[in-house]
Amino acid sequence: MTVISSSDRLYRAIQGRRNRGLGGLYLVVAAFVVLYAILFPGILSMGGFAKFTQNWFPLALVAMAQALMMLTGGISLAIGPLVSLGAVIAATTMGGSLGVVGGVAAVALTGLAIGAVTGVIVAHLRLPAIIVTLAGSFIVTGVALILLPRPGGFIPDWLSDALAGHTPTAFLLLGLILLMWKAFLATPLGLGIYAAGDNPVGAFRSGIPVERTKVVAFAVSGLLACLAGLFVAAQTGSGDPIIGTPFTLNSIAAAVLGGVGFLGGKGTMRGAICGSLLLSVMINVMFFLGFPPVAQYVAQGLIIVSAVAVPELIHAWRAKR
Amino acid sequence: MNVTKTSRPAHLQKALKATVAAGCFLALSTGIASAAANCVKGDRKAPYTIGWANIYSVPTWMKQTEGTISAEAEELKKAGLVEKLMITDAQGNAQTQIQHIQSMIDANVDAIVVIAGSSNALDRVISDACDKGIAVVNFDSLVNTDKVTAKINTDSGEWGRVAATWLSDKLGGKGKIIVMNGPAGISVSDDRRKGAQPVLDANPGLEILTETNTEYNVAPAQEAMTSLLFANPEIDGVLSLGGSLSAGAVMAFDRQGRDQVPITGENARQFLELWKEKDLKAWATMQPNWLGALSVYTAVQALEGRNVPAFIKVPLPVIDDTSVKGYLDRADKFPADGYIYSDYDKALFDNLIAQ
Repeated sequence: MTVISSSDRLYRAIQGRRNRGLGGLYLVVAAFVVLYAILFPGILSMGGFAKFTQNWFPLALVAMAQALMMLTGGISLAIGPLVSLGAVIAATTMGGSLGVVGGVAAVALTGLAIGAVTGVIVAHLRLPAIIVTLAGSFIVTGVALILLPRPGGFIPDWLSDALAGHTPTAFLLLGLILLMWKAFLATPLGLGIYAAGDNPVGAFRSGIPVERTKVVAFAVSGLLACLAGLFVAAQTGSGDPIIGTPFTLNSIAAAVLGGVGFLGGKGTMRGAICGSLLLSVMINVMFFLGFPPVAQYVAQGLIIVSAVAVPELIHAWRAKR
Repeated sequence: MNVTKTSRPAHLQKALKATVAAGCFLALSTGIASAAANCVKGDRKAPYTIGWANIYSVPTWMKQTEGTISAEAEELKKAGLVEKLMITDAQGNAQTQIQHIQSMIDANVDAIVVIAGSSNALDRVISDACDKGIAVVNFDSLVNTDKVTAKINTDSGEWGRVAATWLSDKLGGKGKIIVMNGPAGISVSDDRRKGAQPVLDANPGLEILTETNTEYNVAPAQEAMTSLLFANPEIDGVLSLGGSLSAGAVMAFDRQGRDQVPITGENARQFLELWKEKDLKAWATMQPNWLGALSVYTAVQALEGRNVPAFIKVPLPVIDDTSVKGYLDRADKFPADGYIYSDYDKALFDNLIAQ
């Protein structure tokens, strides 16, 4: 009993520490969601909720992919190109002999394989992830352009309607992925990601296979990015070899907003997802408030800065009292 | 989508055509004048709210285009036809543009005017808008779906063809040329290049030294051309397919002290001024900025119950040695890094819609 309660306390303490500093973000996100619901009550309907979450979903996935990389102490510049590649593979395989199942498998395997290869190069050759993924981004972009030189390809209508129709499938999938992440974190390998990112030497001495953990994290990150591409293809009904490009920067923005640190081992998936939600809901709120585009650029920057700075300021102010 | 389109069997197409014809006949014979344009259901009343879903507002061409859109909306406001113009900027992100168009549907605008950030990505959200009876007018970068009120554009293939023909004639069908393209993976850039190919094939004397892919801006084009000048001592002509690429090329030749060669281009003010200053052998066409104004006008006309064609093909205005002066005379009305577009008025728009 005492063992359970003390580990329980430890778990709470760690979760509490991880949530610290995110309180402000949660408040800002909640405020924006409420404001959006006031401006556009249709969001509370099934169709409105479905459409909104569909537009947010791919960003949430790449935010998770990037957070995973950052937890290992790296950063990926290949997230966007991987989204494009995922979309291109989905759109070029599903109309052929592979069919939908084969297409999904092809996308997933590609993501896992590219992620794993990157992970092996980074972990075993001890190269910085930022350089390896920068090089990887050029290769992946090139391959996507070779496979599909201009937008096109084919996604069956039923798949588009199932994933991105008038039902909140995307939101349910996001919930499912979060549950799987929770389950993964409960395994030694999952725990190892935090440990290996936070203190690789300490983790190694505690018996964690640091290299293997990194490779797994990279592979899962690649998988998530390619699956985001698959979803984008389904949402748009086609493939586009450059549609993912903006996702690289946005995934970093979402993860950083969500409190994921650059140095590894610090941050949470829920934070990254909240960060992506803020980036997404912000666009709709500014539209309904009727901001002109130039003001949107400024407002976007201000919102991001304040979402990060305000919690810090509150913290400093409290510490001073 | 392309796959299904091209693989649709011929007999099915015939059957479809027959059905359409029968439908038309039925409409005529029963005296139902269903003249309404595509997407328009006739339940929306003036003044209208118009959404302008821009993909990226920063390039000068876009700013000037937005200028013609705002000016047209102001005109129509005075006529009591337009109430409000809502403007969005997707900052180059097609995914954000989908989100913007979805918000416009949610806000129940009456018309959406759009330059697509991807030829396929917007298909589904635009079909949704069309189903809601929103007049959708798409110009410049076009979408794949036909569920729009109207598409408005010049012919990118023709652009490439006419430019290549001019250069080939100028060089007597023989010589070493460099082809300058816009970014890879962009439909417009791809279409212009494809349009040029048959002409290049028909003139085997034209040898393509190399091709460039850059943004449609002066600096990257100049940089690309500068390194090509080092590598190629003999260049007889430049087939530049748009934007400010030509201005960049001419400046690269100039900096290196190389003699200028025949070059094709666009109506960028900088290029037209260089044309006069360096007395270039040049030819230019344009993607008129007033396509934006025409789109707003067309959307409002459709909402007012006028039948508008599903595709409005705008003829490419050509600038040659005789007409370049007329354009340069008006240069000070346009930004220094902008495009000097041909004049437009309501009569021109009415003619184009009536074609």
